[in-house]
Amino acid sequence: MTSLQAFEVALDRRLQPTSLDVPPGQLVALVGPNGGGKTSLLRALARVEQAGGKVIIDGEDLDAAPEARRRRLLSFLPASRDVTWPIAARDVIALGLDKPDEERIAELIALFELDALADRPVDRLSTGERARVLTARALASRPQLLLLDEPLSNLDPYWVLRLVDIFRATADSGRTLLIALHDLTQLPRFDRALLIAGGRIQMDETPAELVAGERFGQVFRIREDAEGNWEIRQAADRQSSP
Amino acid sequence: MPVFVSLLAASGALRVASLNLCTDEYLLLLARPSEIASISRLSRDPADSSLWRVARRYPANRGSLEGVIATRPTLVLTMGGGGRSSEAIARRMGLKTIDLPFPASIDDVERNMIRVASALGDAGRAARWRERLSRLKKSRRMAQDAIYLTDNGFSIASESTGAQWMGLAGFDQRPLPGGRATLEMLALHPPRVIIRSTYRQNQHSLGRAWLAHPLANNARSKTIWTDGRPWTCMGPLMLTEIERLRRKG
Amino acid sequence: MRLFLALAMLLCIAAHLLLPLAPLREAQAIDPELADLLLVQLRLPRTLLVIGYGAALGVSGAALQAIFANPLASPDISGASSGSALGAVIGGYWLGLTQPLALAVCGAAGALGTLALLVGLAGRRADTTTLLLAGLAISLAAGAATSLALALAPSPFAFYDAFDWLMGSFVDRSLSQAAAALIPAGIATALLLRRARALDLVGLGEDVAASLGLRPRQLSFEVIALSAIAVGACVSVAGAIGFVGLVAPLFGRRLSRGHPGSAMIPAALIGAILLALADLAVRAVPLDRPIPVGVITALFGTPLFIWMVVTLRRRLTA
Repeated sequence: MTSLQAFEVALDRRLQPTSLDVPPGQLVALVGPNGGGKTSLLRALARVEQAGGKVIIDGEDLDAAPEARRRRLLSFLPASRDVTWPIAARDVIALGLDKPDEERIAELIALFELDALADRPVDRLSTGERARVLTARALASRPQLLLLDEPLSNLDPYWVLRLVDIFRATADSGRTLLIALHDLTQLPRFDRALLIAGGRIQMDETPAELVAGERFGQVFRIREDAEGNWEIRQAADRQSSP
Repeated sequence: MPVFVSLLAASGALRVASLNLCTDEYLLLLARPSEIASISRLSRDPADSSLWRVARRYPANRGSLEGVIATRPTLVLTMGGGGRSSEAIARRMGLKTIDLPFPASIDDVERNMIRVASALGDAGRAARWRERLSRLKKSRRMAQDAIYLTDNGFSIASESTGAQWMGLAGFDQRPLPGGRATLEMLALHPPRVIIRSTYRQNQHSLGRAWLAHPLANNARSKTIWTDGRPWTCMGPLMLTEIERLRRKG
Repeated sequence: MRLFLALAMLLCIAAHLLLPLAPLREAQAIDPELADLLLVQLRLPRTLLVIGYGAALGVSGAALQAIFANPLASPDISGASSGSALGAVIGGYWLGLTQPLALAVCGAAGALGTLALLVGLAGRRADTTTLLLAGLAISLAAGAATSLALALAPSPFAFYDAFDWLMGSFVDRSLSQAAAALIPAGIATALLLRRARALDLVGLGEDVAASLGLRPRQLSFEVIALSAIAVGACVSVAGAIGFVGLVAPLFGRRLSRGHPGSAMIPAALIGAILLALADLAVRAVPLDRPIPVGVITALFGTPLFIWMVVTLRRRLTA
């Protein structure tokens, strides 16, 4: 059972000092406009950059944990799908493990349906295929906390649904996931949603409450019309709103 | 004729300019101070000439006739040809030129000494030097197998003037293929004596580093050091150096 | 495959040490101890240098490619080799240092300077074009500066050494020179090899590496410093030799299934073998004039380099 407690993590102007408390087994979505701070929050929590504050996973201080322990505690998946080296898919997945574990690798290859692609160099896979390989790598060490930056981008509908299934199952097993999303269609399947804009957490609700909230429309400059369809907020509208 | 040329012709006093490091040696050994108009600038460098202190008393030239005209010489010494244009200019100005040949033997050096002394007006000025040379020749001893070793193992040809001088000092320069000693050869067939030069000793080069190799410093050969500066010209200054080497050998 | 490589290297060592056989036989005939003397004082330093320098080039080439995330980075393209030559030349010809170890320090300092300049000019995660241009510019500038330093040096014989410095030579090196080069290079190379796993992880991207507890910036500086020491010490004794540091990691990655860090060990073996073969070729050609080793490495390296650029282009436009 993983709980995440973050105190005052910050990244110069991109992320204001932020604190966060996530109980075990929660599937959390991070939504917000481009440049609003979603990626910054994930990077700060993953300690990709010096972010100050404290990150405590299951009562263990991340900064004090030895390198060997880090893999068990958290895993970070950046949004970029670029790979430099022509390494076989199965070897990329293996990099996510401390020690070679053929069983685990085979398990992940099956889970992400990579059987036909397992021995192909990743630089010769399509973006979507590469995304699956890199996500498999992130899951390989069974980390307690998963920080994933837009893992559903550029995937076909089958894989969007499959990945959310996998994330859901992971959360249900007691682990915690923070996932940045652009596409909001999957939002209802998450336990909790954070709206991040201007480097701050503006809203912290259930997905339904978040979308219905006033702040949500203001930040994205959209609004729901009478039939429940979304449209762009006009400047005139904004003026006439109470 | 231009004015200055007629002035030159009218002066009468003997003034000699030497355009070459090697001809400098003859001039500095045989001429009186008032007879020296100009010396090449190489002779002023302690790295290149053992007479550098004396050479600094005189105006320096860069080896061309144009450079020495201002010093009003009446005779110009060159070696290996001063260039056709220089000869033509000298003739026009009424200057005498003497072009000494590169010495192919010690006899050549002696002949050059006589020639320069005569040009200075008295062949007898070379007498002392010739006397020392003759004494050396008469007291010639059994020569030891030797190699004159410089950067990268290069040596001197066994028939060269330098080798002849070495012979006078009691060292028989070994004939080497390509004029070069290899480290293998020095290890397998070490000479009795290795002669090393102090020329530019503190100036590093890869060839110099070669001489520091353990196989080039074999304890089985006796190493004798020589002042390398006179060896550039193999001329009259070698006499003193050879006398010194005689005593070392 | 690794076994094959190790055997190939042993064969190269034996050949390099013993060929040509004639002088050794001649020595044996005069006095058996002389043959030993030749082997130890003349052949051994040369062979040790060839193997050590080749391995150092392979390892540092692979490490530099890992941290620059670019298969075209290498000691020669990054300017490190030329910088080492410049450092050693200034130390030897201008500062008058003669101790081989002091010259090794100068070589390392030169390499460090050029690598620092490269990072300053191109940045650490530069794209291929920027990296190549900056590296080549620095390399050319350092090479020209080396020639100038030799031309203006106090010794009038210095200029003729330019070929040896810029294209490499192993002729007539002594044991103390080999030690001065290989002891620092050996230590630096060993320290680089210890970072193999970290460099493999950096291959996933700096962000992922950082999240795993590694410190990519610090790792980069360590790799740069250690590469500078390894390459600099070798260049100070044998001159700058190109292409081996570029080509050996390429084949090394074939053997490490693409992982950049794990490629260091196979790259070391391959680099050693390549350099040994190049030096054997130099000695086999019966000319009175010695051909610099760098000419041979350029002969096999250039077509490979061109092929690499072509495949890179194809990959980028695919």
